[in-house]
Amino acid sequence: MRAYLVFELRRLIREPRMAIFTVVLPVLIYTISSGSSGDAGQVGGVDVAAYLMVSMAAYGALVGALSVGIAVSQERASGWLRQLRITPLAPTQVVAVKALLASLLAIPPVASVGLVAAFAHGVSFSAGQWAALVVLMWLGSLPFAAFGLALGFTLPPQLTQPVSMLGVFGLAFLGGLFVPVAVMPHVLASIATWLPSNRFAELGWSVAGGQAPPLGGVAILAAWAVIFGGLAAWAYRRSAATR
Amino acid sequence: MTEAVRLQAVAKNYGPVRAVDGIDLSIARGQTVALLGPNGAGKSTTINMLLGLLEPTAGTVRVFGSSPTEAVRAGKVGAMLQESGFAANATVRELVELARALYRDPLPTAEILATADLAELAGRRLDKLSGGQTQRVRFAFALAGNPELLVLDEPTAALDVESRQAFWAAMRRYAATGRTVLFATHYLEEADDFADRVIVIARGRVVADGSGADIRQLTGGRTVSFDRAGTDLDVLRRLPGVVEAETRGERALLRCDDSDRTVRALLADGHSWRNLEITGAGLEEAFLTLTASPGKE
Repeated sequence: MRAYLVFELRRLIREPRMAIFTVVLPVLIYTISSGSSGDAGQVGGVDVAAYLMVSMAAYGALVGALSVGIAVSQERASGWLRQLRITPLAPTQVVAVKALLASLLAIPPVASVGLVAAFAHGVSFSAGQWAALVVLMWLGSLPFAAFGLALGFTLPPQLTQPVSMLGVFGLAFLGGLFVPVAVMPHVLASIATWLPSNRFAELGWSVAGGQAPPLGGVAILAAWAVIFGGLAAWAYRRSAATR
Repeated sequence: MTEAVRLQAVAKNYGPVRAVDGIDLSIARGQTVALLGPNGAGKSTTINMLLGLLEPTAGTVRVFGSSPTEAVRAGKVGAMLQESGFAANATVRELVELARALYRDPLPTAEILATADLAELAGRRLDKLSGGQTQRVRFAFALAGNPELLVLDEPTAALDVESRQAFWAAMRRYAATGRTVLFATHYLEEADDFADRVIVIARGRVVADGSGADIRQLTGGRTVSFDRAGTDLDVLRRLPGVVEAETRGERALLRCDDSDRTVRALLADGHSWRNLEITGAGLEEAFLTLTASPGKE
């Protein structure tokens, strides 16, 4: 299983699209949006620069985590996953490696946006805060990794890509990553608090505010992890039975 | 345990379509067996059930005494599927190393690359290979783990004549080490040349099972045809080596199991004839013969 993980990691690093979507794009949006809003002021008790940093890092993490689903759907269509099924590697190991890879893709956007925020926008965290931010955003991306896998094991490649993009955009927008929940209309704001994307970013905003994430939020995120994990398992079993 | 594969009354339905319709067969260890049949005969379905990729609708499949999935997990099986793609962004060598890492007792990398004729392509990206090269990579991936049973589904489908020969030479070297090889093909030639045993499948059933020569015999060998110029059909039917004779207009068509003797007799007996032609029995024709009388052995 380790050999397969190493094989997959090496492939991931070589994929230029990955760097564009999980590093360049979030940094770019961060730079633009903080340029227009300025770094001063506060949102929900957190400095704007830090608040936006978490939002964009979370957005990048969503893109990264869901992208593995797109790869899964392509590998399903090409027959590569079927080829792996006739090796001693257990299918559950393949799925576990894919989920791990998807969650690991949450780290580059957090790190890169964090670096830009620290050096260009005066965000100053303690070492403990940075560490907490990376670890929480990594673990918190698991429901999205599962969501991506559910899509990848269900849809053909032509559909997985647009549906994933739509999913990312919808979750990011409705979850308050582009527009803070505080300034959303009332109905949208109440929807946002039930969404995993909002609760995911909340992990980072809490760290930025020097607080522990609220338990209610963690519970909602965990519930989504269970739902998406179940969907992914169901989708995987269904795809294995028909191919 | 001398048995590598056993299928008992195995059937597979896809909705209302019966792709495999009750196959019984047993393959001994060390045999090289061809699964011969036209497209849509049920070869790939049979192979997929043998590898645990498909569940049979009825019947049992055993590989080395256990279920196909268990045999695959235990590293006893390597397979080359039709048109299976590979992951992009990896090199031939990395893929071979991955395959080696997944099996307990793999072949040395250099030997795998040499056997599949890939030594010069080891550093090449998988997405930058030609069809024939990709096919060789599939072969390398299948044999890397040094499996006891090697299953190849239409292994030469994408190959030109030269690579085909190189491929079969490599396959023979592997089979010579005492491994069991099962390959599917729709070329009678390949089945005859490379297998100890040929199992003919048509419409989801085994219609013939024997050596390549047996199958050739069954399919009626060759057809000798000529303008008979008045010679009586009964006379022609009694010529040595003739299995069956018929006329189409002025033309006599003799189906022969030994066309050499037939032609010699035709020359020696002084019958008058013109425009002599000898053609091999096409596989299509052979399948028609075999499927028309199932159970004929």
